[in-house]
Amino acid sequence: MKRKKKDFLFDTLVTLIASFLGIIIIFPLIYCFLSSFKTPSEFLNPKLLPSSFLYLDNFKNALERGNLLRYTLNSFIIAFIGTVVRMVLSILAAYAFTFYDFKGKNFFFFLILGTMMIPGDVLLVTNYLTVSKLHLLNTYLGVMIVSFVSASQMFMLRQRFKTIPKDMREASSMDGYGDLWFILKVLLPLSKPVVTTLFVQSFINLWNAYLWPLIVTASSPEMRTVMVGITRLNSWEDENYQLVMAGVCISLIPSIILFIIMRRNMKKGGLDGSLVG
Amino acid sequence: MKKLFVVLLSLFLSFSLLFARGAKEESVKNEGKLGDEPVTITFWHSASDEAGVLMDKFINSFNETNPYKITVKGVYQGQYSDATTLMKTIISAENYKELPDVMQMDATGKVDYFSSGRAFTASDAFREYEDISSLYIPVALSNWEYQGVNLGLPFALSTTITFYNVDMLKAAGWDKAPDTFKDIIELKKDMEKAGIEAASYGTVPNTPLLANWLGQMGSYVVNNKNGSDSMATELDCVENGKLEEFLGEWKKLYNEGGVENRSLSTNQFVSGEVAVFTSSSSNVSSVLEKVGDRFTVGTSQFIRVNDEAEYGATVSGSCLVMFESQDELRKKASWEFIKYLTGKEVQAEFAVSTGYIPSNLEALESQEYKAKLEENPQYRVAPEQLLSTPKEMKSVTVGPSSDFYYAIMNGVSDMLKNNTDVKKATEEISSSLLSLLDQYRRNNI
Repeated sequence: MKRKKKDFLFDTLVTLIASFLGIIIIFPLIYCFLSSFKTPSEFLNPKLLPSSFLYLDNFKNALERGNLLRYTLNSFIIAFIGTVVRMVLSILAAYAFTFYDFKGKNFFFFLILGTMMIPGDVLLVTNYLTVSKLHLLNTYLGVMIVSFVSASQMFMLRQRFKTIPKDMREASSMDGYGDLWFILKVLLPLSKPVVTTLFVQSFINLWNAYLWPLIVTASSPEMRTVMVGITRLNSWEDENYQLVMAGVCISLIPSIILFIIMRRNMKKGGLDGSLVG
Repeated sequence: MKKLFVVLLSLFLSFSLLFARGAKEESVKNEGKLGDEPVTITFWHSASDEAGVLMDKFINSFNETNPYKITVKGVYQGQYSDATTLMKTIISAENYKELPDVMQMDATGKVDYFSSGRAFTASDAFREYEDISSLYIPVALSNWEYQGVNLGLPFALSTTITFYNVDMLKAAGWDKAPDTFKDIIELKKDMEKAGIEAASYGTVPNTPLLANWLGQMGSYVVNNKNGSDSMATELDCVENGKLEEFLGEWKKLYNEGGVENRSLSTNQFVSGEVAVFTSSSSNVSSVLEKVGDRFTVGTSQFIRVNDEAEYGATVSGSCLVMFESQDELRKKASWEFIKYLTGKEVQAEFAVSTGYIPSNLEALESQEYKAKLEENPQYRVAPEQLLSTPKEMKSVTVGPSSDFYYAIMNGVSDMLKNNTDVKKATEEISSSLLSLLDQYRRNNI
């Protein structure tokens, strides 16, 4: 009985701390959402709540001035296709590094990992040059191509695949199934939590990209992404934060929907994964 | 064998000459007259929010009304620094066809534009087409000079002025704005006596602010007239002791409670957290709009370091530059478009709608602009200050502009935070700034 009471107190404490931390993490989003309904003069008011949730001018202006509808579509195309291709390539590379034995395996693995040490900004000019030589400037493919390969994702997946016994692959090949079948039917279901987390992370990463899409689409403003649209809402002369907040709220919708859909898979996959090994 | 070699070499040289000639022929295209055939030019700008809406309007109006069949394709390229990064990337990749015909640029892009090898400067246009330099405010035009060359024509023109809360100052017994650092200290004391809890002033000096205050004291920040004559390599303000003198005054202002070591700008001013703030004159419109009926806003000339200092502040804003497209028709079209954007009508309308100062002298005298000044006296200070600012007072042009900006801010802020001795702080700031200049020089020569 005493132990039960102790557990209850501990659980309550942990829940309280977790809730407190959760509120701190989510507070900027709440603030952003509430501020997007404020008028310019209300925004300077220390009150958290807007006077009315029916004031929608910020959303209207953000959509018009920042061309956010079109830019959101562009961002979605870039982030979704970029993430799918990145995941496919990362899974295949991680599979090869985990289950195949070939000459120079470790050397190539560390060579790929070494690319993580190079800061993205340093590659700006070289990537631009490559994309330009491939005649991919001002195309969606040009924006996405530099994100197709991710060393960090390949590394994370490889670490996950390593926890899966090699015997399982041997068993599946003895049953006459090939590598692709093993990946799709065994490996990926067992690695669902990692795969879904990396998918969401990659999607958000590409969604938030700013400088590269701006540079590659220099002559095609209609191909710009939502982050570029948001910068159009603020200016040096006038800090329209309430407008920016409305733009940010609009830009968050796809990421939140994706997270809600994926959250279930992450949880389910997590339980499935726990049975392995 | 020798004969064969000579024949091959001759053939090779002939081909080289042929291709060289071909390249030359390709370099100058479309020598036709404007209006004979349609021409499309690209314009990169960084005008966002209200200014962006206005810019789109100007572009559309030009496309509809110009008699030369010119179509301008306006492209928003993010903030000035983003557009400059894009320009640098394209130049590094030598992918010149992606460069625009016209670009709106701020001071951070001056050096990169000049050394791009693809600049078709305003000086070139004055020489090749017509010299219209007399149409602009001299100090505004000279702000875009680098190594004796006029890079572009001034478009969005502003300067730093002082904004103050008239009601708050009145409550503290003041009927005018503080003029010097000493006044700010006095104002703070009077505010405390009157029970006003707000800060009197709050800012962290950065490159333009330092250039203004050192300029008032007769010094440049860096050599070669703040980098406008040629690449900056030394710190004038350290060699003549003016940086140390300024830091001494700044520390005194802080120690006596006159200034807070953080940036208190528009939003804090509007919400009544600070009595005085210094900012670009282009913010007058937005400050007045945000303050509304809460209190009366006053503007005055930029705060001086002390009684001996001159009045004035450097020019800021943006200019319009052209690129060498190697297409004569496009260059002529670009020039027409730049003349339109810096002309009387556009400059007057832009100034009335945003708070910028017209760079065009005729626009400055236009009825539209004068009526605006009459209606809102807060707008008057900026053009008056600009016209009285000594021509020698120049904004800082250095290669590593953003690193320089933050190095100054961090250096001054750390001095106050850590209560560092002024001499030591001068040495630390000097060392970090010199290292940035040196690094840039080594990377670019």
